[in-house]
Amino acid sequence: MAPISIDAAALLTSVQSIVPEIIVVATAIFVLLLDLAISEEKKHLLCGMGLLGIGVALFSVYALGQGRIEGFSGMIVHDGMGAFFDVVILSACALTFLMATGYSEWEGTHKGEFYSLILLSTSGMMFMAKGTDLMTVFLGLETLSIPIYVLVGFHRNRMSSLEGALKYFLLGAFASGFLLYGIALIYAVTGTTKIPVLATMLYDPRILASPLFLAGTGLLLVGFAFKVSLVPFHMWTPDAYEGAPTVVTAFMSAAVKAAAFAALIRVLLVALPGMQPVLWKVLWGLAVLTMTVGNLSALVQNNVKRLLAYSSIAHAGYILVGLVSGDVLGGQASLFYLLVYAFMNMGAFGVVMLIAQKEDEGYDIANLAGIGFKYPALGALLTLFLISLGGIPPTAGFVGKFYLFSAAVKNGYIWLAVIGVLNSAASIYYYLRMVVYMYMVTPDVEVAVPRPPRILFSMALCASAVVVVVLGIIPRSVLEIAERSVLSLLM
Amino acid sequence: MANLVSSIQFADPYFSVLLLLIIAVGMSVGFVFLSQALGPRKYDRIKYSVYECGVDPFTSASVRVSVKFYLVALLFLLFDLETAFLYPWAVLFRDLGLFGFIEMTIFVGILLVGLVYAWKKGALDWQ
Amino acid sequence: MDFINSHILSLMTFLPLAGAAVILTVPGGRDNLVKTIAAVAAFLPIPLAVQLWFTYDRTVAGVNVASQFQFVEHYSWIPSINVEYFLGADGISMPMIMLTTIISFLAVIGSWNIDKQIKGYMALLLLLETGMMGVFCALDFFLFYVFWEVMLLPMYFLIGIWGGPRREYAAIKFFLYTLLGSILMLIVMLALYFNTTDPETGGHTFNMLHYMQQSTHNGWLQGFDVRILLFLGLFIGFAIKVPLFPFHTWLPDAHVEAPTAISVILAGILLKMGTYGLMRISFPMFPDVTKWFVIPMAILGAINIVYGALCAMAQSDLKKMVAYSSVSHMGFCLLGMAALTPAGMVGAAFQMFSHGMITAMLFFLVGVVYDRAHHRDIDGFGGLAAVVPVYTFFITVAFFASLGLPGFSGFIAEAMIFIGSFGVFRTIVMISASGIIIVAAFHLWALQRVFLGPLNPKYAQLEEINAREIFCLAPLAVMTLILGVYPMPVLNLMNASLIRLVDVVKMVI
Repeated sequence: MAPISIDAAALLTSVQSIVPEIIVVATAIFVLLLDLAISEEKKHLLCGMGLLGIGVALFSVYALGQGRIEGFSGMIVHDGMGAFFDVVILSACALTFLMATGYSEWEGTHKGEFYSLILLSTSGMMFMAKGTDLMTVFLGLETLSIPIYVLVGFHRNRMSSLEGALKYFLLGAFASGFLLYGIALIYAVTGTTKIPVLATMLYDPRILASPLFLAGTGLLLVGFAFKVSLVPFHMWTPDAYEGAPTVVTAFMSAAVKAAAFAALIRVLLVALPGMQPVLWKVLWGLAVLTMTVGNLSALVQNNVKRLLAYSSIAHAGYILVGLVSGDVLGGQASLFYLLVYAFMNMGAFGVVMLIAQKEDEGYDIANLAGIGFKYPALGALLTLFLISLGGIPPTAGFVGKFYLFSAAVKNGYIWLAVIGVLNSAASIYYYLRMVVYMYMVTPDVEVAVPRPPRILFSMALCASAVVVVVLGIIPRSVLEIAERSVLSLLM
Repeated sequence: MANLVSSIQFADPYFSVLLLLIIAVGMSVGFVFLSQALGPRKYDRIKYSVYECGVDPFTSASVRVSVKFYLVALLFLLFDLETAFLYPWAVLFRDLGLFGFIEMTIFVGILLVGLVYAWKKGALDWQ
Repeated sequence: MDFINSHILSLMTFLPLAGAAVILTVPGGRDNLVKTIAAVAAFLPIPLAVQLWFTYDRTVAGVNVASQFQFVEHYSWIPSINVEYFLGADGISMPMIMLTTIISFLAVIGSWNIDKQIKGYMALLLLLETGMMGVFCALDFFLFYVFWEVMLLPMYFLIGIWGGPRREYAAIKFFLYTLLGSILMLIVMLALYFNTTDPETGGHTFNMLHYMQQSTHNGWLQGFDVRILLFLGLFIGFAIKVPLFPFHTWLPDAHVEAPTAISVILAGILLKMGTYGLMRISFPMFPDVTKWFVIPMAILGAINIVYGALCAMAQSDLKKMVAYSSVSHMGFCLLGMAALTPAGMVGAAFQMFSHGMITAMLFFLVGVVYDRAHHRDIDGFGGLAAVVPVYTFFITVAFFASLGLPGFSGFIAEAMIFIGSFGVFRTIVMISASGIIIVAAFHLWALQRVFLGPLNPKYAQLEEINAREIFCLAPLAVMTLILGVYPMPVLNLMNASLIRLVDVVKMVI
């Protein structure tokens, strides 16, 4: 057997390409150990350490920049795209930690494993976003999913939490199976799992026509569709979102979606543009179905968490519109929207979390009645996040949606844009319904008393609000970064 | 015959794996059927009862097993898998050299943290 | 001073917003301070408008010529898709800018008796003014769209929070109707964007003036059927705002539920945005389709006039009657525009300005009586003239102005519209003319039922109109009268542009 030679320089680049991930994992382990060492009153230190680690990781992403660093013989690459999603995912994680400062105290999740699991899941997402090999993508997916299953069921004493966790776990396991089987079939036909190599293989019409390859792509797509909850693979979403501790729901809606979309974007834009005619029709249908079913279902919800869950399904549809467009503008729009969505949706969940005093009962929409005047800051913040979700200027949500739909129009998908825009109009109704409750409905009993936010919690809400407003008025620099990220992908 | 096998083996390196699989499945299934076919059978009332000896069962067979067993089983799985990784490393220890050693140290270190965590959380206390 | 001169439109647009920001920092409980700040913030654009009035060059037209726009501000905003911050004024927007400053200020004064959540109310009102000014100043379609949408939310809250008993329903209905319209507009905007290029940079553009030059001969805009679709998309979007039959059903609900000052703004300015949009965007961008579509437009205008008037006659609620009279009057605008003659077009624009003032007066007056009697049932009053003569005087002036009595600005506008359109579509104009009779009838009938006849003893002690209310009404009444006798100041302002607009549309066969 030939001796295995290890190139020190290549090893160093490899390590360099995953510095942020290493930091996140190290933080996760450290937090777990710290939990053992400190007493019950000092548990907030865990959150602080986690935040510190996320901060260092964010800094390392900044230091690495958008340059291309290939690691592990092309299994992982840190490029503009990877850096962009690292920032999105780490920001979502940071917001989660900031909100967890308060939430953990109220709901008893001040535990080392809680924070550690979030960090581990984050690392999985980052790997998924940076994976240039289907195997890395799969590993990332598993690393992100397993902690999330646990986190959804973290409230062991609440039936809805357990129910959500079980549903999510079973369907998630199926999704992983589909994905893996899809990868296997693709490997069977092409002999590779490397995404850039796949792209070159698809010039061969025999491969494109092979039924095995089609089946593999289909299964791959189904696997991703489960994770980003595209209709008809969305069944788990409302239950898992409703059951999970709200902090986790917020985290899932923003970060998991971003990571899964990152991998999907990489696969679709890099590996599969050769499948344009067939695949894109399927995606078109999925986008339309997802937007429509998500919005129509959200219209009739009375539980705020479920409402936001369906709204997040609908948003997956909007983001898919950008992918259907399939060019730089579309990709750029999707990236921008994912970033904005992370902030506005987590912001909305944050406010809702404060207003609902208790899991399960506190999320009835009637609980919002009268909040607007009694607690003007909370009311204004939630209104801001909701109108941004609805896509009304001058918020970031508007700029994002505008980009998505303009990408569709540019590439000739006029009807898709029309359907999307009509959907977005329908969505305004249920977002405004919450606003109506806050400002225009007189409460039956008395106005709910929101939990007083901690300083860090308020910081999270303010930061989200600032991002939503600033990106709504001067989106320029972020749009340019998103554009460069997509271009880095197509290089 | 031997010639044929080796030529097939050349055509597909995984053929031997398939062969191994067939033999393994064949043997295990074969033994079950063999004992069924060759063994002597004498049925009586006692043979049809749930237990062939001792007292009649007085609780349901599906009792709840203490959660502690699951913990132990999980920990066992974890360290069992660890061995699965350690084994090939041990075989290639010389070729992998320092790099392999550092890799394995990190791997074992992370598992160790897990063990410490489980220990401190009381997963190993039977009470 | 230089700064003011070179950024005058931006200042007019964003001063109210700055006022709103200041208001939000005022600690709670200091209502009078809030009101004062709001009044100052809403007043500040008026001197600027006066400055505009004196420096505006009335000889150049604008419309589709970039160099002829005045007070232009042109900066890059989102360079990656070539969105520009592009403001400018011409004869189409000037009267509307003037109207907005006046009506907004009067609306703030008219809101003095609001006591619920005054901070939020005033802040939203000022935000609304920013949105309205922005719509009238923007020359970049994207910017126009942003201001158009920005306006929606404050309006929604103002109706939904400070409105009457069915306010939630009315607010949501208003919002969804208008949103549907703006969404159609958004799609048309995107289609235009991807089929036009900026001649200087070669990139796609949102510049409205480029659209006007290129919308007939680029990309798939070349197909006439595509252009018809795009035109219809815009038309429906604007028609909802006007509101044209059959998209008008949100209007009575919104008006009845909205607080007085908000009704004033809604009828006085927001409705004009629909017709303004047609003049600024639809007509010059799709001249050939416009010509193809004049007959349906005129018919819709006629339906609005007659149907609106008939509905108004059937109302027992004074405010609903005034709301439907707006529907009727906006029909005149459409009829005049559809004629594509200078007289018709100028008449339509003048009607926009004149109706803005008259309807503002009417809604103020309805608000005055509602504040005192707490109902608006026409048959529930009677003989009020004896108790409140000053109020009766003002409402008589407003009613006469509204029904188009010579000597008031409404008469001039309607006369011009009929003169301009009679030669083009005779039958339709004759049918529309019958609307005038109905308009006169329901005004006089309402006047008779409320103010004449035996006094309803319940209202023997009715309080007379007060100084603040007169302050809101008097300027409008005086302007209506002056413009009714000598309309030239406003006509001069817009003549050149509107004649150019007619030429732009007519040039294409």
